[in-house]
Amino acid sequence: MVCLTSRHTRRTTRSGASRITLSVLTTLALTASACGVPDPSGDREATGTDHILNCDIEVPVSEPPERIFAAYQPAIEMAHALGVSDRLVGTAYLDAEVLDEYTQAQQGQRYYETLPSREEVLSTEPDFVLSGFNGAFTDENFGTRASLREIGIESWIFSPLCPSEDGAGDETIDPSTVTIEAVYEDLRDLGAVFGTEDAAEDVIADMRKTIGEVAETLDAAGDDLRRPSVMIGRPDADGFRIAAGPDFSSEILSHAGGRNAFADLDSKRNVDISTEELIDRDPEHIFVDVCCAAGMTPEDSADDVEAILSNPALANVTAVAEGNVHEFTFANRSAGVRSATVIAEIAGTIHPELFE
Amino acid sequence: MTTQSPSSVIAAAPPVWSRIRSWFTAAVQGQGLLSGTWSRSAGLLGTVLVLAAAMLMSLLIGHERLTVDEVHAAYFAYTGSDTDLVVLHLRVPRTLVGLAVGVSLGAAGVLVQGVTRNPLGGPGILGINAGASLATVLAISVLGVTAVLGYVWFAFAGAALAAVAVYAVGSTGSGGATPVKLALAGAAVTALLGSVTSAIILRDRASLDEYRFWVVGSLGGADGAMLAEASPFIAAGLVLAFALTRSLNALATGDDLARSLGVRLGRVRALGGVAVVLLAGTATAAAGPIGFVGLAVPHVARAIAGPDYRWILPWSAVLAPALLLVADILGRVVARPEELQVGIVTALVGAPVFIYLVRRKRLAGL
Repeated sequence: MVCLTSRHTRRTTRSGASRITLSVLTTLALTASACGVPDPSGDREATGTDHILNCDIEVPVSEPPERIFAAYQPAIEMAHALGVSDRLVGTAYLDAEVLDEYTQAQQGQRYYETLPSREEVLSTEPDFVLSGFNGAFTDENFGTRASLREIGIESWIFSPLCPSEDGAGDETIDPSTVTIEAVYEDLRDLGAVFGTEDAAEDVIADMRKTIGEVAETLDAAGDDLRRPSVMIGRPDADGFRIAAGPDFSSEILSHAGGRNAFADLDSKRNVDISTEELIDRDPEHIFVDVCCAAGMTPEDSADDVEAILSNPALANVTAVAEGNVHEFTFANRSAGVRSATVIAEIAGTIHPELFE
Repeated sequence: MTTQSPSSVIAAAPPVWSRIRSWFTAAVQGQGLLSGTWSRSAGLLGTVLVLAAAMLMSLLIGHERLTVDEVHAAYFAYTGSDTDLVVLHLRVPRTLVGLAVGVSLGAAGVLVQGVTRNPLGGPGILGINAGASLATVLAISVLGVTAVLGYVWFAFAGAALAAVAVYAVGSTGSGGATPVKLALAGAAVTALLGSVTSAIILRDRASLDEYRFWVVGSLGGADGAMLAEASPFIAAGLVLAFALTRSLNALATGDDLARSLGVRLGRVRALGGVAVVLLAGTATAAAGPIGFVGLAVPHVARAIAGPDYRWILPWSAVLAPALLLVADILGRVVARPEELQVGIVTALVGAPVFIYLVRRKRLAGL
């Protein structure tokens, strides 16, 4: 017999309010009869007929939010991608220019350069807060998700960045969630929450296509494929700040046919290393992830690229010796709707022989 | 009975203990552990050797442990290998900047304590660190200066302006620039500058990473060019500091007595301020605001060498870089692959020793 997964059930609820009751009954019946355990494949599965789990917090899907506050670049871009630009009541904390296709949609949005205070966010009267990183829902910023729910505001954290508990920050991220699949799940789930499933499926299909083409090209190289070691990071006053193992960079690089030169540093997403550590790791490519302002583009990393290329201590590092220090942005290493094109770009840069 | 009873062991100990105790008693009374030119000179020479050993360790210990031969080869059998580059462009500049910054902070601390006669004096108390940090943060976030050599000058100017402001505020009213008024003015200016810095930083995300350095201080970004720029200022500051030691001795007897000894108080304080700005401002520009060294080391120097500033200054100028370099070496190895900034480690390492000294006795009054 066919078991309806909770996801199937949830779809039903989205298709019409009148059928909610029916679907609840159906689920209950099926669950009781044959499908004793809900789909265990992930914590983003629905727990009931009208909720989706996001980072262990239930988010209702029965009533699409009308007033969305989007914090951080990935959240802002995902909101535009899902076609809810006109429901945005506030946007905050861009790391770089938004993708070209959303420039229009972002224009005229209420925008805060940094995370505004909880009161400021509340003054925009949101009913939903979408965050691209986990720093928004801490006591110093918007308050915990539970505290927002108490005043009727639902929330969402991108699942590749689920904190260990509500209110916590970056400290512990489950590495098994740092995947491009988790981005698709978020798109699908948010599509359900916002009632824009079709837009979500379109975005997912586009991303899958782009990443699939990269994978095909890489697969065609077969056993000859060499995965160069890559550093994504930027100079710091006393060394470098690099993207470590749990950062989404590792997933991006692995899909692009490379590997994170600092994959084994698994304590946090951003790690400060000394220049000697960089020399020792000897990455074959360095992507300089300039950050953080709404108008930034990869060209803004030119000074840092030049500083790395001209640093005499780094002369023997393969990336420097071979001129493979590239302009990049922090926004590009974040999990989100731009990840597919970023994967294609990096693949083309580190495997020029395979991509024409 | 062949084994000694516990009580007889203790009975055997007193000679050593009483010796140590008498040293501390001497320090309490302001005479210092060492007295006489010969023992002070010999002790100072020994401390110079300790400093030399710290410098050698700073060259050898790090991400990769190097040998003396490898360091030697970097200069005399250069092949352009990773090791050669690490020695020439990272370890040697870092060690020399550590030396220069340590000497500067040690000497600046002595001057501040001598001029203000404030035992809690340090470069921080005159607003030097806060001024240098604010100027640097302004340079980075407002003017967009990114090169280290670019903002060294801002740090330097900020240090000077802050010191002048503190002096100006502290010398208004009757009685001129008294130690207490200078200290209060320094605390107020430091608080003001610090809050302006915070206000800028909290509004500008891009400068946050850089700012970490300007809060705690670090030798990790040291480079040879920066050292070359900084050296003349430090040298000038040191010359001025040594020239002032006699006046500081007179100042220590109190304003009235000093005046009667023919010391021109205003002039000594002004020149002392100039030397402090040269020394501490340059040190902050090169390595960020490293606290504690300038405060604690002069007290240790005083406890060892007695109250004569002609001895306190050289002792402090040798002990401070030794402490700084040892702290930096520890910072490289304890938190790998990350490094612990030297500004954090100096306090971690030095504070327990300092607290012990303070508890042991009231450190020699000023």
